[in-house]
Amino acid sequence: MTENKSITQKIDELTKSTDWFYSDDFTLDEAVKKYKEAIALAKELQKDLSDLQNEVEVLAEDFQK
Amino acid sequence: MNSVWSTGDDCGGGPPKLFSILGEDNNRQDPLTPSLFINVTNDLLAANYEMIEIVGEVASFKVNQGKWVFFDIKDDEASVSCFMTLYQMRMPIEDGMRVIVRGTPKITKWGKFSFTVNAVKPVGEGSIKKSFEILKKKLTDEGLFDPAKKRPLPKDLTKLGVISSTQAAGYADFIKILNARWGGIHVQVAHTQVQGMDAPSQIVRALKYFNEHGEVQAIAILRGGGSADDLSCFNDEELTRAIAASKIPIITGIGHEVDESLADLAADVRASTPSNAAEMLVPDRNDMKLGIGMMIDRIDTILFNRADAEKKSAKEKIVQATNAIYIQIRDAQAKVSNQLKVLVAMNPETVLKRGYAILNGDISPGSVVEITTIDKEIKAEVKEVNDRK
Repeated sequence: MTENKSITQKIDELTKSTDWFYSDDFTLDEAVKKYKEAIALAKELQKDLSDLQNEVEVLAEDFQK
Repeated sequence: MNSVWSTGDDCGGGPPKLFSILGEDNNRQDPLTPSLFINVTNDLLAANYEMIEIVGEVASFKVNQGKWVFFDIKDDEASVSCFMTLYQMRMPIEDGMRVIVRGTPKITKWGKFSFTVNAVKPVGEGSIKKSFEILKKKLTDEGLFDPAKKRPLPKDLTKLGVISSTQAAGYADFIKILNARWGGIHVQVAHTQVQGMDAPSQIVRALKYFNEHGEVQAIAILRGGGSADDLSCFNDEELTRAIAASKIPIITGIGHEVDESLADLAADVRASTPSNAAEMLVPDRNDMKLGIGMMIDRIDTILFNRADAEKKSAKEKIVQATNAIYIQIRDAQAKVSNQLKVLVAMNPETVLKRGYAILNGDISPGSVVEITTIDKEIKAEVKEVNDRK
């Protein structure tokens, strides 16, 4: 589950996933599962990035006094 | 004794005037003591000149006992004596500098006129530059701008403090760029002046607020471009010290690339403009999306290459196995062929064909033996048997 992870954490996860395909641990059997996971994570990240909104709050404190 | 004052409104215009100091019968005018006269005059001055700004050239600047500052501010025709505390002097000044002073006029108890200054700042590019250089050297010598003290900005920014004027164009640029590039940040904005003599104190108060509350991961101090006079508030000593002392990392985005202030030097990170500050604080989501796409492309490529390599490897193995089998068969065939040749060579028929005969039976005189040739079966009697010599 990646729901509670930050975007940075998800990016790190995707990077690790990408590196696995270049590693000696690579096997074709596992690759299919890993590939599907990477695609799902990438889609989730693209959505997260599009949905991100900032919240701007002007403090009520009066700094002029 | 009551003081009765009439303002200009009462007199139909002009400055307020003291009519009289009335006695109990409301008629008699009592003479004033010097103290009362000074007090009354100071009240009158305070009522009319609550806070006044004077611009002119500094002359006869001196500091007494390390805390009292005296100087004159003058133009070609007149000069005003000024007094202030060293604590209030937040930018260095010296004789010949053009400055603006803000304060109140006052008659001292010795009857001398003085202008009590509560704020002073250099004006005009030359004076600002000179003041900047003096204070820069002092604070550099104290190690306030030491690069080793600079902290990096947080990577995973979720809470940001902003100190700026919410009406400033620079602030609007910053928010626009920040929203375009990234999201998920709670931005707390301390609205302050970003130019003028009150700006430094307000910014210092905002810095104190953020440091005391400790909710934000970084603070951005922002102000768009302006003249040297507009930006000179960022050369304030107290503000510079407050920036250097902040527990929270600070980024400044003040003026343009060419504008360098002491606030910039004291900050952990200096951005060239407010927009640049937004760029330095957060990554660009569009770049990141491209990066994610490229990662997937890389996975696609490597997966294809590795699958292709596995396919080739399997093919090679089949070829190797086929070759091995072929060689085994060929060797076996050769072996069989050789053995066949031996067998053929050893076949009695082959010997008979070469003209030899096979003799069977008891080889002793008088016995009958059987002789086989290539084409005959012969029975013959043995006449004589001798050993070969």
